[in-house]
Amino acid sequence: MIIVKKLVIPTTKDLKKLESYCDGFILGITDLCINCSLTFTMDEVKEIIQHYPNKEFFISVNKNMHQQDLPHLKEVLLQAEQLPVKGIFYYDISVVEYKQELSLTKDLVWNQEHLATNYSTCNYWYQFGAKYSCLSSEITLEEIKTIQKHAKGILMVPVFGYIPMFTSKRHVVKNYLKYFNLSSSSPIHYIKKEGFTYPIMDVQDGTTVYSSSILNAIEELDILKQIGIEYVILNAFLIPEDIFVEVLKIYEELTEENKKQLYHRIQQLLPNCDKGFLYKETIYKVK
Amino acid sequence: MTHELLAPAGDLERLKVAIHYGADAVYIGGPAFGLRANANNFTIDEIKEGVRFAHERNKKVYVTVNIVLHQQELQELQNYLCELEKTGIDAIIVSDPAIIEMAQKYTNLEIHLSTQQSTLNVPAVKFFKKQGVTRVVLGREATKEEIRAILDEVDIEIETFIHGAMCSSYSGRCVLSNFLTARDSNRGGCSQICRWDFDLYDDQNHFLEGEKPFTFCTKDLSLLKYLPDMIDMGITSFKIEGRMRSIYYIATVVSTYRKAIDNYLQNPKTYHYDQTLERVLRRVANRDSIPQFFNQKNDEECQYYNGRVELSNQDFLGVVLDVKDGIVTLEQRNYFKVGDEVEIFGPNHETYHFKVPSLTDMEGNSLEIVRHPRQIVQFACPYAIEKLDMMRKRIV
Repeated sequence: MIIVKKLVIPTTKDLKKLESYCDGFILGITDLCINCSLTFTMDEVKEIIQHYPNKEFFISVNKNMHQQDLPHLKEVLLQAEQLPVKGIFYYDISVVEYKQELSLTKDLVWNQEHLATNYSTCNYWYQFGAKYSCLSSEITLEEIKTIQKHAKGILMVPVFGYIPMFTSKRHVVKNYLKYFNLSSSSPIHYIKKEGFTYPIMDVQDGTTVYSSSILNAIEELDILKQIGIEYVILNAFLIPEDIFVEVLKIYEELTEENKKQLYHRIQQLLPNCDKGFLYKETIYKVK
Repeated sequence: MTHELLAPAGDLERLKVAIHYGADAVYIGGPAFGLRANANNFTIDEIKEGVRFAHERNKKVYVTVNIVLHQQELQELQNYLCELEKTGIDAIIVSDPAIIEMAQKYTNLEIHLSTQQSTLNVPAVKFFKKQGVTRVVLGREATKEEIRAILDEVDIEIETFIHGAMCSSYSGRCVLSNFLTARDSNRGGCSQICRWDFDLYDDQNHFLEGEKPFTFCTKDLSLLKYLPDMIDMGITSFKIEGRMRSIYYIATVVSTYRKAIDNYLQNPKTYHYDQTLERVLRRVANRDSIPQFFNQKNDEECQYYNGRVELSNQDFLGVVLDVKDGIVTLEQRNYFKVGDEVEIFGPNHETYHFKVPSLTDMEGNSLEIVRHPRQIVQFACPYAIEKLDMMRKRIV
């Protein structure tokens, strides 16, 4: 059995359904976290942690912080000190500054999504308390290997779920509906282009657009383990709950021999799975 | 306190135009590691030439080194930073903190933090100040109140955008190009997917069809009206977006903001907002512009629904190459003819309006129409115009 710690970003407050198939959870904090369809207050976090003493818990405050968010952020960071939380996912650098100013002891998880693309920057944030770095989903498996070889901290790699591609403070969907006097009560919308469909969520803090396909790196899990990756992340966002549980069960069955077969089993459940950028390099100079 | 007008420059010609028209500093892309990988950008020799030109006029040059690094770039970066230092530039603009560390280790380059970090609050600015960054370019989502709070609480140079195109996303938080075109937006490959049209559907697959297609596209930014506020707040540097814009655009926008800044600083008590300047800015733009987040506006009026239609500006008629004994030598940039209502603007005088008088080519042959690209023509002009002034259709 291949063992690498699996962290789940849940979409249900009833973690019982998921706990048997993962090692821990990442709980987004209400008003401070984006890209989670479900967020938790610190009271709820406290309550949940008590019920699952054998699980690892991380909290996420991964939005861009504006001045008005700071009092709440500070309060959450201070409260986290009192809880058995392993680490705090952050995007905004105010979190790093507060760790220093308030002498906070909790480890940080550098989670600047698309910016975590090299080991030097992982190591930069490591010296400021980011014991963990959550790598970008837009890098290749080869790049992950190199980063792991040279990173001082512990790496986390997203292996399953829709990937956020665009995050804006603007209410792009609401604005469009209002401008053209259209009505929609959908909690989620979709934009289509050239045969591809992309989920788009317009919520309190703005708009996020997600990939058309679901990342599924179950076949690469053994490589990640071999190179020393300690944590992988599975995101339940936009995945029907029963199917997500099924996916977790399939990840639990993984062996060296059955990985191809398991990939295809997941693909049968979710036909729009692929391997993201693991084998696909992006270019940036077209001339 | 000085208030720097900071202009974009896509090449040496635009650098010189920007400075000539009143920029206190320019920002440029070098041969590597900038976020406009597909622009012309400067060679190291051109950077040296640009720095020499700027420094002779007591102006500054900043170089963008603002990509998000991947491993392969790391190997080349150290040499590149050392090369840049030798050119005499005044600062580098950096997004990835690994570059901050490397620049500090191997060079004495001054470091500005790029807007790509989307810095929007006091503690984040404090953090970067402690790391030796001398200036922070704030995120474009910063409101007036947020900028004021930062200026009140942290003693550091603050730079904000005042004019130009806006990312629809938080800078650095968009990889639409990566997914839709396999071009890395955070390494200079942005293919501006946010300006594409999409079809919008609800969760029941109902097509939500407005009169124009769905897009993320936003109107441009213009903070001309708020300049006095921004000066009073103590913002160090006012940044104009647009390293890929034309010399005409740069000359027009830079000279307009130069006038507004100077007018206000000369006498804040009697300063009046000049609608004429606003009209000039509107005319040179190919899209609508508004104050965006500065005044906390974030609604449907900020979006740009125009089916990707962006008007091509035909106002720019020519650039003055020389003036001798009242005879102007002008290089044509758009069609014009004898009798057209035109105006000539420049950094050192009022805008002059007149009708195009009789024209000749360089051999003295009479012309009625100037239709050939970059055609050189001559005409008599009674006004004290100067080399590098520009002629445009009458706007004012």
